[in-house]
Amino acid sequence: MKVNLVSRNGREVVKGGIELTDEATVSDLQEAIHARIKKYYPSRQRLTLPLQAGSKGKPVVLIPKKKLADYCDGNANNLTVVFKDLGVQVSYSTLFFWEYLGPLVIYPVFYYFPVYKYFGYEGERTIYPVQTYALYYWCFHYFKRILETFFVHRFSHATSPLSNVFRNCAYYWTFGAYIAYHVNHPLYTPVGDFQIKIGFTFGLICQLANFYCHLILRNLRSPDGNGGYQIPRGFLFNIVTCANYTTEIYQWLGFNMATQTIPGCVFLVVATLIMTNWALTKHRRLKKLFDGKEGRPRYPRRWVILPPFM
Amino acid sequence: MAGFLSALRRIYLSLYNWTVFIGWFQVLYFAVKALREGGPTTVYDAVEKPLQLAQTAAVLEILHGIVGLVRSPVSATLPQIGSRLFLVWGILWSIPETRTHVLVSSLVISWSITEIIRYSFFGMKEALGFAPSWLLWLRYSTFLILYPTGITSEVGLIYVALPFIKASEKYCIRMPNKWNFTFDYFYASIIALAIYVPGSPHMYGYMLGQRKKALSKSKTA
Repeated sequence: MKVNLVSRNGREVVKGGIELTDEATVSDLQEAIHARIKKYYPSRQRLTLPLQAGSKGKPVVLIPKKKLADYCDGNANNLTVVFKDLGVQVSYSTLFFWEYLGPLVIYPVFYYFPVYKYFGYEGERTIYPVQTYALYYWCFHYFKRILETFFVHRFSHATSPLSNVFRNCAYYWTFGAYIAYHVNHPLYTPVGDFQIKIGFTFGLICQLANFYCHLILRNLRSPDGNGGYQIPRGFLFNIVTCANYTTEIYQWLGFNMATQTIPGCVFLVVATLIMTNWALTKHRRLKKLFDGKEGRPRYPRRWVILPPFM
Repeated sequence: MAGFLSALRRIYLSLYNWTVFIGWFQVLYFAVKALREGGPTTVYDAVEKPLQLAQTAAVLEILHGIVGLVRSPVSATLPQIGSRLFLVWGILWSIPETRTHVLVSSLVISWSITEIIRYSFFGMKEALGFAPSWLLWLRYSTFLILYPTGITSEVGLIYVALPFIKASEKYCIRMPNKWNFTFDYFYASIIALAIYVPGSPHMYGYMLGQRKKALSKSKTA
């Protein structure tokens, strides 16, 4: 069959189209495009069916494993596919590694090195126990995140645009430095012992719960990288859709209870807003997918991310 | 009921736009008068009250966007109003040493001409239902000159204020304190300056796009 590959404004991307067998899959098409235009490796390609003129819905995205023939409605020998270049892509592992490496390295710099003399604070500084525990807690957190990136998470998309590396690193690295500067400051004021103990203990429990949530999510997906969505079950997922975000938010709450800095609290609020946004999208997607029709299970009533608010 | 509410909205917005228009007209009038009579160092004192009133009133526009009274996206108006309020209150009012600088004249003249055109444009649309094509042209063309002059004045005045901000320690919160919080107005102002670097081309580009849309639409209409 012949595939006409066009860009969104109608221009032919590959002159003369691409010839493939009738049994060819979308993945074969992606390889063929990459062979014709070297810079367009498969993860950079977004292939959709043309939108009917005047229709307002979202375009149908071609799924790599499906056969091209499945997308031909009438003409079995000819298919028009719309191509969009997603730009340079990096794997999610790469993205996460670089964004988490920053906080892991930057925070100890403020703890171990005489950084504050460049801000005008000369002389020795006394280090309180809470500042040492905060260092261990923080570094454990980001080390855990890096390990999970390489050994636990199974990603729905293999890649992310390169620009996200700069944007995400700016976010994590800037906040990491902002918080580290204040917690390790020579004029830092610790809170009471009891509050510190409760904060770190609660935070640690939530980090462990968060890890267990990640294990559950991992087992929802098959190892051959099919992506796809299942209804999460078990542990906190029975009550809340995005229990992984919930535990993450609460673990930062524990850190802030123990360290009590405004920068830490600002980070908590911003992170909560970002994760809530993701959680709402995921919850809506799951409810739409699992609508109870045609033999599909119906998505159970659950909190989205933060009971009893949402 | 719906017709009554829509009429109320129109009356309110007409009153708002024309009132603020008068404020900015005063700013321009007093600025030019002071320039001719006393020179650039006297401009701020002459325009201070109408400038503060007219610019601070613009906070209402954010409310209008949130409540849905107007269509403008909050994301476009917020940075614009933010930078204006920072200059009026954070620099000119807070750091008196900047008030006699010549850039104050270029600042208030750039701003007032832009706003006179803008508020009369919206004022006419709300009150009369249309705005004349020459006003539309002015609204989408004067920015070509006034954005660069205004932005240069803003950046210049912030830069001029920096040593005085550092010396005065104004608005600074130091440690130790219970919430382990610091705020340094000097560094915050430097960050504000840095934002102008990507922010200015972004705003200018946005207006260029708006100009293309608005002026081509009026041609085909």
